[in-house]
Amino acid sequence: MISIYLQGNSWLHKTPASLKLLAVAVASLVLFMVKSAWVFLPCLAVVIGLYASLGRTGLRQLKLLRGLTFFLGILLLLHWVSGTFWEGVTVILRLIVLVLAANLVSVTTRMDDMLEAVMPLFKPLEWFGVSARRPALGVALVLRFAPYMMQVFSRLREAYQARTGAKNSWKLLPPLAIQCLRMSDNVADALRARGGSEGLSGR
Amino acid sequence: MAFWPKKKNEASVRVCDPAASPFAVFEDVGLDIGDRRILSGLNLSLKEDRIGVIGLNGSGKSTFVRLLNGLRTPSEGSLTLFGAQAQKAAPELPRHVGFVFQNPDHQAIFPTVEEEIAFGLNQLGAGKDESRKRAAEFLALHGCEALATSPIAELSEGQKQLVCILSVLVMEPALLVLDEPMTSLDALASRKIRDKILSLPQKIVMVSHDLSHFEGFDRILWLEDGRLRMDGSPFEVLRAFETDIDRRSGAKLELAAL
Repeated sequence: MISIYLQGNSWLHKTPASLKLLAVAVASLVLFMVKSAWVFLPCLAVVIGLYASLGRTGLRQLKLLRGLTFFLGILLLLHWVSGTFWEGVTVILRLIVLVLAANLVSVTTRMDDMLEAVMPLFKPLEWFGVSARRPALGVALVLRFAPYMMQVFSRLREAYQARTGAKNSWKLLPPLAIQCLRMSDNVADALRARGGSEGLSGR
Repeated sequence: MAFWPKKKNEASVRVCDPAASPFAVFEDVGLDIGDRRILSGLNLSLKEDRIGVIGLNGSGKSTFVRLLNGLRTPSEGSLTLFGAQAQKAAPELPRHVGFVFQNPDHQAIFPTVEEEIAFGLNQLGAGKDESRKRAAEFLALHGCEALATSPIAELSEGQKQLVCILSVLVMEPALLVLDEPMTSLDALASRKIRDKILSLPQKIVMVSHDLSHFEGFDRILWLEDGRLRMDGSPFEVLRAFETDIDRRSGAKLELAAL
């Protein structure tokens, strides 16, 4: 679900990260209070319109919904079975609108802007002597390394398939965990070599 | 405002002299990791511009170069880096020593090239806008402006390693340490990266398995089982090293000893 930043110079790219995050937060709060499925249809149209305003590459982003179909289908099925079909439709539409909106922020916001925007949220940590930069960098690292871990996993899967013919196995999880731990050691070293999470301005 | 006082930053006074020559002095330096002996009895004084480090796998090369930027500290003996005792210098060392790792995928922290370069400037205290502007200028200076907004994950291996080198260089270190930087590169990319490294004004310490990368180097250190086996000009050390490899591989094929 984590999309990579799309290069561009659209109005959405130019909108400050804090404003975009705030808008998504407010939209989430409001939409969680809405109970009628019909209200979500114009919301959906607005979000899709926003993607369209980014041009063709923006609209291509909507493909991310394909990955969610299975999950959303199950959700709808469960609601249907328990006799609350229309509530299920509401839940699904709400999820689609919010996922699309959140994704819109991540594809139009640079990581350093995002960091600057979320840093104030971690400010209270400074009362306890912990730098706010630390968790903010953590967020950046998660976003940066999530796709890389997928790559590592697919490489492991290839190696497994080459020797067993089977495509997937739970047995791949321990080596994946080990590789990720080793990688995190290396990344930590690399970060320390450039001054660590606190930076060098005081040194 | 803090509920309890912050840990005092012991390094608030600078102790290193980036122009110190020699930049590193080892006196009987030894290093253990757990109960394993990794390095022992090192006595060296490093001041040359281009220093190569060679040795077989497990000889302690990577640990040795990690001593130079404070990622490791000696368990015994005395190590002086840029005129200061290693332990005291450690918090300040990232300013003076750039470190390039073997695997660029494990080094870059940010998703796009410009952000990765800007991070180093930000680490030195520059604000976001200034870091970004200077990162763009720095990329242009190195002829990489076209890569600025590219996602690092989508670059070629050579480009990734170049970005890692630039992200360290932008911090203007006095010394650049490279731990097998060409391992994942093809022949052309590795030639280009080597030429780039040789063109830099920084002092260089580089580990490599490919001996041809040491052309133009001033001094080679050969490590074996954590000790300095030989130290001298590339001509004599590389020749001795190759002779040793020939002798060992010709003696008998001990696969178990690989």
